[in-house]
Amino acid sequence: MTGGEGTGNAALALTVNGRRRRIRAPDAERLLDTLRWRLGLKGTKEGCRSGGCGACTVLVDGRSTLSCLTLTHEVAGATVTTVEGIGRDPVGRRVQAAFARENAVQCGYCTPGFVVALTGLLRERGPKLPPERLLEDLGGNLCRCTGYAAIRRATEAVCREVG
Amino acid sequence: MAFSLAVPRSPAEAVRLLADAPPGGAEALAGGTDLLLDIDAGRVAPSRLISLGRLPWRTLRRSGGDLVIGATLPLRDLERDPRLPRDLPGLYRAVRAVGSVALRHRATMGGNIARSSPSSDLLPILLALEARVRLVGPSGPRELPLPELLKGPRETTRVPGELIAAIVVPARRPSAYLWQRVRPSNDISQVGVAVARRERPPYWRVALGGVWPVPARLSSVEAILDSPDPGDIAVELAAQEAARCAPFVTDKRATEAYRRRLVATLLRRALREVTVP
Ligand SMILES: Cc1cc2nc3c(=O)[nH]c(=O)nc-3n(C[C@H](O)[C@H](O)[C@H](O)COP(=O)(O)OP(=O)(O)OC[C@H]3O[C@@H](n4cnc5c(N)ncnc54)[C@H](O)[C@@H]3O)c2cc1C
Repeated sequence: MTGGEGTGNAALALTVNGRRRRIRAPDAERLLDTLRWRLGLKGTKEGCRSGGCGACTVLVDGRSTLSCLTLTHEVAGATVTTVEGIGRDPVGRRVQAAFARENAVQCGYCTPGFVVALTGLLRERGPKLPPERLLEDLGGNLCRCTGYAAIRRATEAVCREVG
Repeated sequence: MAFSLAVPRSPAEAVRLLADAPPGGAEALAGGTDLLLDIDAGRVAPSRLISLGRLPWRTLRRSGGDLVIGATLPLRDLERDPRLPRDLPGLYRAVRAVGSVALRHRATMGGNIARSSPSSDLLPILLALEARVRLVGPSGPRELPLPELLKGPRETTRVPGELIAAIVVPARRPSAYLWQRVRPSNDISQVGVAVARRERPPYWRVALGGVWPVPARLSSVEAILDSPDPGDIAVELAAQEAARCAPFVTDKRATEAYRRRLVATLLRRALREVTVP
């Protein structure tokens, strides 16, 4: 919503995966729910819904963001990239390929969050970062299958490729 | 759960919206990483959130010898300032301790201070750096030393409608912040130890988080450290004094006895980090 007064269900615009979307949403709606239930983009997962697991990570204006703790109206006008759109980004494409190649997926629930978060980090910090730092900065993403060894291999591989 | 959202364009408008609301009726929204969870858990039930997202406080400025951190600057932007790791290593480490990268893209220092959590990772280092807080409210602006703002968990001495606009710390100061927790990311610190060294006496400022309802400085430990380069004995005495002072809490994260050991160990390490080049 805009201006000083809340109407409770105002219109807003978002650019999601390259497409301009105009929607109406209650003021209290979370970006996670807008993406999954209003726009049908189920790739973004709901994990803990309290910021602790990273499964709901999306890019907002290029920055990794916990969509479960973000009000949709707070990012009105922004560019949002979910896992469905991450392959349009050359870095995102490479991250996806590395995850597939290294089998960095077990049940797959955490994968969209990891792929989006890693793409965001590589884009934000540039490839100059040592892989250990990238792994440290991925600490907000949990894999309950504990497939971390493969995720680490994929991360190191992308780091080498992009570097 | 249902609330409406107002997005004021000026600090004056935000203050007015908050001050005019009935008690508990409106809450300021910065990154929302504490507030939205508090709402989900039913700890607060505001009917209206006042977004601070459009206020001109997403700033970072150096002026004179000060670093002025805008209250709504995402912590990630502070962390990525190229001079921070060298000029204020303790603050850099503390900011990186907060949650995760994605969390820090939204979480702010103003929210962390206003929330005044016992286990905040920012309060100990801000206390050690002798931070001052700039507020704006219904009766105008004021500036306070941080300890005068902190009252208890989730409690500050702000008056209704008063907002944190900026935090002021020295632009450079040798400093360290060390924490201990079960998981490195996205976990709450069991203990946080912050130290900072001033150029002139009194040289040392030492503060603890995670051990009391409100993070605080340790003046008895600061008094032991009376040289800019304390020797092994002074460091040891300081560590023992820190572990001995006022009762620490026991909670699900750690026992009091474990916290005492952590405080002594982390303080030793933090002091060495600052004194040994
Ligand atoms: C998964 C997770 C992990 C976390 N890990 C850590 C951690 O490791 N260390 C740590 O210290 N914290 C941690 N936190 C807590 C939280 O992220 C931080 O305290 C954060 O800095 C809060 O800032 P915010 O902008 O999100 O505040 P918000 O949630 O927007 O606001 C918090 C409170 O402050 C008030 N407020 C906000 N801004 C202002 C202002 N400018 N003036 C007056 N009042 C204001 C709000 O009304 C609200 O009451 C974690 C949170 C989560 C969800």
